[in-house]
Amino acid sequence: MISKEILKKISPVLWEIPKNYRPDMKVPARFFASEQMLEDVFKDRSIEQLVNVTTLQGIVGPAYAMPDMHEGYGFPIGGVAATKFPDGIISPGGIGYDINCGVRLLKSKLTFNDIKDKLESLAREIYHCIPSGVGRGGKLKLSPEELNQLLKNGAHWMLQNGYAEPADIEHIESNGALPNADPDAVSGHAKKRGHDQVGTLGAGNHFAEVDIVEEIFDEKAAQAFGLHKNQITVLIHTGSRGLGHQVATDYIKMMMQVMPKYDIQLPDRELACVPFNSPEGTNYFNAMAAAANFAWCNRQMITQQVRQAWRKELGEAGGDLSLLYDVAHNIAKIETHEIEDKKEKVIIHRKGATRAFPPNHPEIPKEFQTVGQPVLIPGSMGTASYVLTGTQESMQASLGSTCHGAGRRMSRRAAKKAIHGKTLKAELEQKGICIRAGSIPGLAEEAPLAYKDIDDVVQVVHEAKIAKKVALLRPCAVIKG
Amino acid sequence: MRSHHFLPHIADVRLKAEGDSLEELFTAALEGMNNLIKTSSCPAEKAEKELLKEKIEISSIDATSLLIDFLSEVLTYSQVNKAIYCKVKFEKLTNNFLSATIFGKKVDAFDEDIKAVTYHEAEIKKDKKGIFSTIIIFDI
Repeated sequence: MISKEILKKISPVLWEIPKNYRPDMKVPARFFASEQMLEDVFKDRSIEQLVNVTTLQGIVGPAYAMPDMHEGYGFPIGGVAATKFPDGIISPGGIGYDINCGVRLLKSKLTFNDIKDKLESLAREIYHCIPSGVGRGGKLKLSPEELNQLLKNGAHWMLQNGYAEPADIEHIESNGALPNADPDAVSGHAKKRGHDQVGTLGAGNHFAEVDIVEEIFDEKAAQAFGLHKNQITVLIHTGSRGLGHQVATDYIKMMMQVMPKYDIQLPDRELACVPFNSPEGTNYFNAMAAAANFAWCNRQMITQQVRQAWRKELGEAGGDLSLLYDVAHNIAKIETHEIEDKKEKVIIHRKGATRAFPPNHPEIPKEFQTVGQPVLIPGSMGTASYVLTGTQESMQASLGSTCHGAGRRMSRRAAKKAIHGKTLKAELEQKGICIRAGSIPGLAEEAPLAYKDIDDVVQVVHEAKIAKKVALLRPCAVIKG
Repeated sequence: MRSHHFLPHIADVRLKAEGDSLEELFTAALEGMNNLIKTSSCPAEKAEKELLKEKIEISSIDATSLLIDFLSEVLTYSQVNKAIYCKVKFEKLTNNFLSATIFGKKVDAFDEDIKAVTYHEAEIKKDKKGIFSTIIIFDI
């Protein structure tokens, strides 16, 4: 049982479990948390899971967990780890079942005063335009060939078929398409689960939200991002839906069966993995890429639906909604990082963690070169969300990564017992937040009291300098399944 | 004899399933998952010919994996066909292989969106009374 006594304090917000804590650890484990958060950190098995990650074949540098960490499957949620390219392992448990679950932020030219009298109808129209809820299909019906093209080409397919604006593409991480995506590596089951789900939110903690920029912390970065106080923005949080979930399920099963031939033994089944450059590893990475492309198309389609609702309710006066940025927080990438003073090409696993690239990084859009990559951190429903920038420090301290959200601290059942959905809706409406939700019990499950304090989580990453605060967003309308 | 009940979990759903044989355990787990997907959705005995049918064959490394893989397969059919598969008839069930037919009906909507059936905490154990049990965590 891991306890505080074995921790080495690197800084007030960074802790290490040394490599000699357990004989099977190949590298140390590090996690970001304030002293006040430490109690919570040990309440579930996230630290033990982080230690398990350090046993992976080919791991380089420490395994990391972000301050919103909590118990997941294989990796903890909030987990980041790099394995050596090309023969270190790749593990679907280091990406998550919801491949490329992520967030995007749309900017309007409006302030709250411009929309306050139309907020209800706008929320209603957005809710109407975006299919949400359990098992709901979308409006885009794809033939098998179209689906394959979408999986292969990601956001570019959306552009070619009139579902994106040219400027959208360069404002998506990886330009909305991983080039190694292979539709043939995606099973028939996965394609059947996902074929009618492009443009759907799903349920649970996925949402679309109309936000007000309440506070600016960094004027220079805000200006580069095109953000200002009282501006209206739209935040969208969803992932690869059933297609991605099935890809993960398929490959975890497959990897468990073939691991013995690679002489891989693990402390946890959900860390099932194979060498990246094995046929199975290659197929998984290519299927994961296809699912990631699907998720970017999903968020792009939802963007078009929001734009449609915007035009319908606000007309010409509503202006355009432009994309600030879209980030993935469940994904694996090939990146180059400096690890122990050596530049290494690695397979980065980010599970419930967001890329946070610094100024002058070649992978971020030109207009953000002086300030760094936008990082979008959604809070729980009805609480703040944050825009941050990536930093040079994140490249050294956390493999170019930062947190992804608030992290749950209460079970869904406990949340539903603590507050009734109708009461929560009324409370949020009293705060001036318009709610459109498909499920009242589902609403209660996502109550703010079920989540860690987003302000605390973001403050830790800011203090650790693995991302820098730019703006705080406050919701005025929440749309969910 | 078989049973299932739900236990607390911070983010997802934890189920405990029990049965006095492997077949009963698998059936209990299926009933639990169905109860999660759509509460109280399974009808009283209906003639098999009236129901949707799917044939399943699965090989896995051990009995625990087989159970998780079985539930995953049923979940996939549920989501693809927008149906609940309440009944299962096992033609063969060993520690590493099963063949079965599942019977179900269409539903209008689901109560819960299960992303995946995970292997987390799953481990089939048999107690001194011969009762099989396991925990199953559903990622929702």
